[in-house]
Amino acid sequence: MKKKVLAAVLALAMALSMAAGCSSNQGNETEEKTEEKTEESSGSKSQILFNGSSTLAPVITAIATTFNETYGTWNEYNSELPEEDIAIYVSAGGSGQGTKAVIDGTTNFGMVAREVKDEEKEAIKDEKEYKVGIDALTLAVNPENPVTKVMDDLSTEQIIGLFSGEYATWKDLESSLPEEEVVVITRDINGGAHEVFQKNIMGDKEVKADAIQAASMGELVQNIIDNPYAIGYASFGVANQNKGKVIPLKVNGVEATAENILDGSYIIQRPLLLVGTGEPTAQQQAFLDVILGDEGQKTVEEMGFIPVK
Amino acid sequence: MKIKDYIVKGLIALAAAGIAALMLLMALHILTESFPAFAQEGLDMFRTDTQWRPVSDKPQFGLLPAMAGTLYISFAAVLLALLLGVGCAFFLNFYVPDKLAKILLAFIDLVAGIPSVIFGFIGLTVLVKWLAVHMHMAAGQCVLAACIVLGIMLLPFVVSTCCESIQNAREHYELAGYALGFSKEMLIVKVIFPAIRPGIVAAAMMAFGRGLGETMAVMMVVGNSPIYPAMMGRGQTIAALTALEMGSIEYGSTHLSVLYAANAVLLVILVLVMICGRILRRMEKDE
Repeated sequence: MKKKVLAAVLALAMALSMAAGCSSNQGNETEEKTEEKTEESSGSKSQILFNGSSTLAPVITAIATTFNETYGTWNEYNSELPEEDIAIYVSAGGSGQGTKAVIDGTTNFGMVAREVKDEEKEAIKDEKEYKVGIDALTLAVNPENPVTKVMDDLSTEQIIGLFSGEYATWKDLESSLPEEEVVVITRDINGGAHEVFQKNIMGDKEVKADAIQAASMGELVQNIIDNPYAIGYASFGVANQNKGKVIPLKVNGVEATAENILDGSYIIQRPLLLVGTGEPTAQQQAFLDVILGDEGQKTVEEMGFIPVK
Repeated sequence: MKIKDYIVKGLIALAAAGIAALMLLMALHILTESFPAFAQEGLDMFRTDTQWRPVSDKPQFGLLPAMAGTLYISFAAVLLALLLGVGCAFFLNFYVPDKLAKILLAFIDLVAGIPSVIFGFIGLTVLVKWLAVHMHMAAGQCVLAACIVLGIMLLPFVVSTCCESIQNAREHYELAGYALGFSKEMLIVKVIFPAIRPGIVAAAMMAFGRGLGETMAVMMVVGNSPIYPAMMGRGQTIAALTALEMGSIEYGSTHLSVLYAANAVLLVILVLVMICGRILRRMEKDE
């Protein structure tokens, strides 16, 4: 009998924990929603909401966390501000969702990892853009790839040829190169990185179907390091971390350097923008100053992007 | 006493019902979320000439390559795991001293607890590299690499299920077999092996079900190209596709719904596999 009771207790515990698991999840969701709603209606000035690009979200989150840990309340940062807790909420869901949330008024700032479209600009009342940084992709190959000895520069047409499968082997690119398969490595094709590449290089051409899709930038670069006949687009930051292990090629004669990216001559890039509506409140302005100031820009650089300053 | 029994019975029933309800809820969620995909894309998702181009200007959502890859990789991995696993179970039972066998079995069971990302990482840095160098492949990422990694991951399931079956069969037949003058090898081939066939089928089905859903390890070594699988070529599985694309997907898009549809299909395959396993086992038992 004792055993039976024990079994029953265990079963109950299991059932309860399961029920708790389910309900707490739902609870969280509704809590989040109500939080957003109260924020909307009360319009508390001490809370700042960010929504949008999953590329930009970790950057803003990192800056916000440091900011919150350093100051805690707004008046600690600037004595003219009220003595209220700093509350900055960041949620990711894509650039499109970011602008949509600004239009709908459900967020203070939209995080957008591309140019803001004209129709979006029209829809947002008194649209304001703040450029946080630039994300750029380099075309990286393995140092042992013989292509590095004959050319250090690829034109847009050549890149399209390599990535679309038009050049099946490296020999098709340059007749002196070996007849080895061009191993194309991409990120997942619906991600932000691929979108930049598709828009700035490929246009309406598709990347070949047997390209290898890496689940992260780190994995993509690891694949290039391991394979002498691979080519892929590594983000500027990751390529720099692996200097010597991967060789970035010039694009249309322009080297991927911070200067060339900033002046726009290097084309595989996208801006990282914050989109707001109307004049920012004092608190919002304070946090924007932090993001665009030295400390924020340092975080932008640490995350692998090019700071605007 | 009686009341206590009722309480115990009720609690157990509650727990069982809870688990069943949870399964149903999850299946229902996947089905409702995949409804827009079936409404918009319909059978186009399952046509052989539809490619997987979810973010193109003219999006195409062909699921067949990933479905084929899922089945192909799981099937080959189970085959590999069975070949090694059944042999391993016999060896541990008949040729290794009991104490040592127990220790070895514990180690094999431990393999089941290793996080799959570790298998994937070793697969990527060792196996994929080795294949590229020694098989003269342009890139080592291939279906074969996925099969080997997955096969090793499935080994513990096969070995432990087979070991149990073998122990049962030994209790029944070993002494009788020896009394009839069978050698150890004769006993294994003629008596024990036929006796544990249902166990092997059960192990295979369990491993197959587990293999269908494996995500991380496969994703890291298979190349994730949405094309039809070939042993030395690249491929894609439904679970890996979902993990790869779920993160950056636009909420409420057809693309997301198609991924749900893909997983609904995976669920159906899993149910079919389980039913087949049941039927096979029953047939074995009837014989």
